Amino acid sequence: MTRPGPVQPGGGPTVESYLAAITARLPGPARSRAGIVDELRSGLLDAADAHRSAGLPPAEAARAATREFGDPRQVADGFRAEIAARQARRTSISLMAGGPLVGALWVVAALTSHLGMHLGSPWHWPELSPVLTAGIHVVAVVIVAAAWAALAGFAVTGRLTRWLPARPGRGPTVAGIAGFGAAGADLVMLSLLAGQLAIAPGKLSPLPIALAAAASLARLTLATRAAHQCLAIRSALAVA
Amino acid sequence: MRAETLKGHLDGMLLAVLEAEPRHGYAIMEALRAGSGGQFDLPTGTVYPALHRLERAGLVQATWSVHGGRRRRLYQLTPDGRRALDSERRTWRDFSSAVTALLRPPSPAASQP
Repeated sequence: MTRPGPVQPGGGPTVESYLAAITARLPGPARSRAGIVDELRSGLLDAADAHRSAGLPPAEAARAATREFGDPRQVADGFRAEIAARQARRTSISLMAGGPLVGALWVVAALTSHLGMHLGSPWHWPELSPVLTAGIHVVAVVIVAAAWAALAGFAVTGRLTRWLPARPGRGPTVAGIAGFGAAGADLVMLSLLAGQLAIAPGKLSPLPIALAAAASLARLTLATRAAHQCLAIRSALAVA
Repeated sequence: MRAETLKGHLDGMLLAVLEAEPRHGYAIMEALRAGSGGQFDLPTGTVYPALHRLERAGLVQATWSVHGGRRRRLYQLTPDGRRALDSERRTWRDFSSAVTALLRPPSPAASQP
């Protein structure tokens, strides 16, 4: 007979060390792994119950349950693709939700500032320096590209999953591009603002500009972090 | 039956098992085993990522609930899942009747001169 192991929360030593082997191979934040591990634990305990009902002693039933669940590496690999898709989806949704808000704040800031008092598109405003005009063009192009990437990240990780061939790296790649694109646009906008403040601070209206800059700074931080996570998960997939 | 043979049909079978009632992961695996007369015996752990993928695709919906003192994630079909199951059934029927027709050994009457 086997020696009784130390009392562990949940599943006992066999089940817990099996779960630990899976957890060690799962990327991403602990929060997203916790739900997966809880679900697997309850399944393993169900399996162990079934083996016990069939007459196995508890320790042997737990071992039979882990054998029945299969190689922990294989189980973890299945979940890595899921975690990658979820991270990509979350990033894409946040970017699509936050993007219009940040954009609107900059438009309000431009319109309420002296520069924007003339009607018409910002890049047609006569007082704009060539650098500012070029910068705004760059931002417009980058934002459109990032928006498409975020849309693609959202699409390929949702219902389209049913029809697309399984390529787990695709979602995190486009979501990562979208994140870095948004962060890049923020960086350019903040640099342009810094330049404008240095040259002609009086032309800007303080409150809307401060709001827009704060929003851009927040998104710059969050989008960069999310994009890094997406790419880290993607390279973890490649290693698997 | 080999896991690779099963893989392409796993989604449809998971949906089919959930058609009658919502089930949790281990009950789904048991239903797959029982429903196939023991032919389908995948590593149970691989069924869970497949269920999460179906959830992301909007075909099943999962909710945590407590059954028999144990916290379980209960899966049920969504309306989209029911539609996907119907179309899976149609595709399989057409495919299997075509294969059956082709693999049928020639009848003695037809093979005589």
